[in-house]
Amino acid sequence: MNEIRLLFRKDIFILINNIKLILRNPLRLIPYGAFVAYFFFIYSQRMSSGGDSGSSDLQNMDSSALEQVDFGTQNIVGGLTLAALGILIFQLYSSTKKNVSFFKMADVNLLFTAPVKPANILIYYMARSILPALGGSILFIAYTASQMANSFDLTVGNMAFLILAMALFFFMISPIRFLVYTLHTKYGVIEYIRTGVVVLGISMGAMILIPGLMAEKFWQGMFSWIASPWFDFFPLVGWSRGIASYLFHQNLILSFSFIALYALAYFIVVKLVIQFAGYYYEDVLEATNTNEEKLEKAKGKKEVDEGTYSINSKKQLALPDFGVGAKAFYWRNYVHSSRQDFHPLFGIYSLSMAGLGILFAGLSHFDWFSHKILNVYLIVILGIYFMAGIGRTSIGDLKKPFFILIPASWTSKFWNMIKLDIIQMALFASALVVPSVLIAGLSVGLIPSFLISILAFYLTGFAINFIPQVALEETWDKKLIKPVMIGGIFIFGVIPTLILSIIVFAVTEQFVWALVTMSIGMSMIAGILLHVSLDVLKRLEFREM
Amino acid sequence: MLVVNNLIKRYGKQNAVDDISFDLQGGEVVGLLGPNGAGKSTTFKCIVGLLRKTSGEITIGGFDHLSVEAKRFFSYIPETPYVYDLLTVQEHLQFIAQAYGVKEWKTKANELMEMFELDDKRDKLGRDLSKGMRQKVSICCALLPDPQLLFFDEPMIGLDPKAIKNTKKIFKELKEAGKTILVSTHMIDSVEAIADRIMILKEGRILGNDTFANLKQQFVQEEGTTLEDLFLELTKDE
Repeated sequence: MNEIRLLFRKDIFILINNIKLILRNPLRLIPYGAFVAYFFFIYSQRMSSGGDSGSSDLQNMDSSALEQVDFGTQNIVGGLTLAALGILIFQLYSSTKKNVSFFKMADVNLLFTAPVKPANILIYYMARSILPALGGSILFIAYTASQMANSFDLTVGNMAFLILAMALFFFMISPIRFLVYTLHTKYGVIEYIRTGVVVLGISMGAMILIPGLMAEKFWQGMFSWIASPWFDFFPLVGWSRGIASYLFHQNLILSFSFIALYALAYFIVVKLVIQFAGYYYEDVLEATNTNEEKLEKAKGKKEVDEGTYSINSKKQLALPDFGVGAKAFYWRNYVHSSRQDFHPLFGIYSLSMAGLGILFAGLSHFDWFSHKILNVYLIVILGIYFMAGIGRTSIGDLKKPFFILIPASWTSKFWNMIKLDIIQMALFASALVVPSVLIAGLSVGLIPSFLISILAFYLTGFAINFIPQVALEETWDKKLIKPVMIGGIFIFGVIPTLILSIIVFAVTEQFVWALVTMSIGMSMIAGILLHVSLDVLKRLEFREM
Repeated sequence: MLVVNNLIKRYGKQNAVDDISFDLQGGEVVGLLGPNGAGKSTTFKCIVGLLRKTSGEITIGGFDHLSVEAKRFFSYIPETPYVYDLLTVQEHLQFIAQAYGVKEWKTKANELMEMFELDDKRDKLGRDLSKGMRQKVSICCALLPDPQLLFFDEPMIGLDPKAIKNTKKIFKELKEAGKTILVSTHMIDSVEAIADRIMILKEGRILGNDTFANLKQQFVQEEGTTLEDLFLELTKDE
């Protein structure tokens, strides 16, 4: 157990040094203070409004009666369970491809080469991984609970069980992933495990599909199985739900029983890991390195890998030249996209996202779903493309010196840099909105307004991040002016457009008019921002990461 | 070929490059030496337009350094080699050939890849290359357009001994071909052999800018003084 003491002492030193760093520069606590203030404000607001409306109606409801009458609650419980199941199945499937690591590269260099027992290191780090799980859960629950403060009594007990439910779920996933990979390296049983995970995924899908099809309306029945109380016994997902349901039943013994189930499962998994892991150093090397790189990217120390999520990276290409000068950027993006997906213009990602929209339209056509789901989906897609526009500034050509060095005009370089994105967006948006509108029998006005909106949102997102990055000097001015600049664009541009769209929707009760309003407003904003972007582009500086 | 007048680059209150002026005539090879943090890389980046100058004037081939015309004149090999993750080695060269309008690029690209032992890596993706390999790709990309003026910023960092030897050979060939070169390096002997002139930078200021012989006469005046001795003498802390 000498190793455990050694590692514990090391972590204490790290903790002390972190505290010293904070004391040296207490200003770094300001963002955390702002978070706490925000949570406190929301809590107090919700609590006071909750007090007016009487008691916690949702909490006082009989949970067994809920599933028969309240489809809304059933769908909320089912939706959350489905999300947790999705995470679990995804994590299990990932473990058949890549190991999980509890270590840092410093551990690899300093600890793995030292005369210490590998098993003890593993036990320590596995147990210590409860801390990030707990920390993340506390933050998440503090945030979400602040939003629900008027619906639930946020007592210490309620909060503690909610935090434990989430923390234990995420805490248990890593040792299980480690065990799966360990079994694979020891016995080569990965194919069996993968098949098992796939079967589990299909079974879960069936558990939604079957009751959905049996019900009068699909959405009324789809979660009737996984939202029912007996699903509380499903490992991890059900156990966590069982712990969190203390909020409803206030039964300490029941919730502690689920915690005991977790403890038992953890004990068994750790025993198995120690038995099978052996000299595991090599197994965790790649995962440790990847984690470290991700951390560096998150801290901004390392350039973001633009090849991430490429699903066709081994593709051999023999593309002819597209032309001289700035057209090389379009060619470069075309090659990049060919490797990122199965087709440079319309790939598997676009196909699945368009397919999902068409599926919603189909379900709406047969009256399984309301067409409102499709409307919400279109809005979500606009949001995704807005975020994609923001992210575009951080990767690709703008982060390479070639963009500045190549002899061509700034306008042509800019156009060739975004040309492929625009073509891809136009194709994807058409493939999504045209069949969806026709199948669901919605207004054809949605087609042009959605096409215009998606381009406008993308360009606005791009410009919002790009303009302050280029136009402002790398000084305190940037830190101070950037939020003002971005805030200004939102306050005087994006938010009024969104509010106007909502007003139009409220007056006309037609989604199409809201989208038309949004497309006109966002196009104007995008036009202005594009003009400014082209104006400041020549001030672009190259920054080493 | 290159004229730099009163160049200043300021970060906050600190001048990374502090009012420097110099020029490079066509066919001249100039070595830029200086300790870490002297402002060599910043000077390079300001000249090639990767950084905005705070003030000053820079012209390349008579054109403003940020103009498209000026960019046709030069190539730049950065200290840190940047490559595209999802482009192969050969595709990097095809990309540069398109960008600079290089005709018959394949023959030249093959020669360069062979010289830098990249021919068996031509189909490797950028993200799969080691730092040394990336540096080789970066050099090949810079040489492919056959520019009149070359900026080498620490070109030998991360290279293996053979690649270092080849780079030195390329310096000689480029000099013989009448190219203008500004090279910064800590490998002083590699500059000593080919440089017509030496420029020594410290704390953003030029301490000396002349031929090796003249600098020696001016600052050391001892028999058997090497460029390394001169450099250490000029850059020592007061």
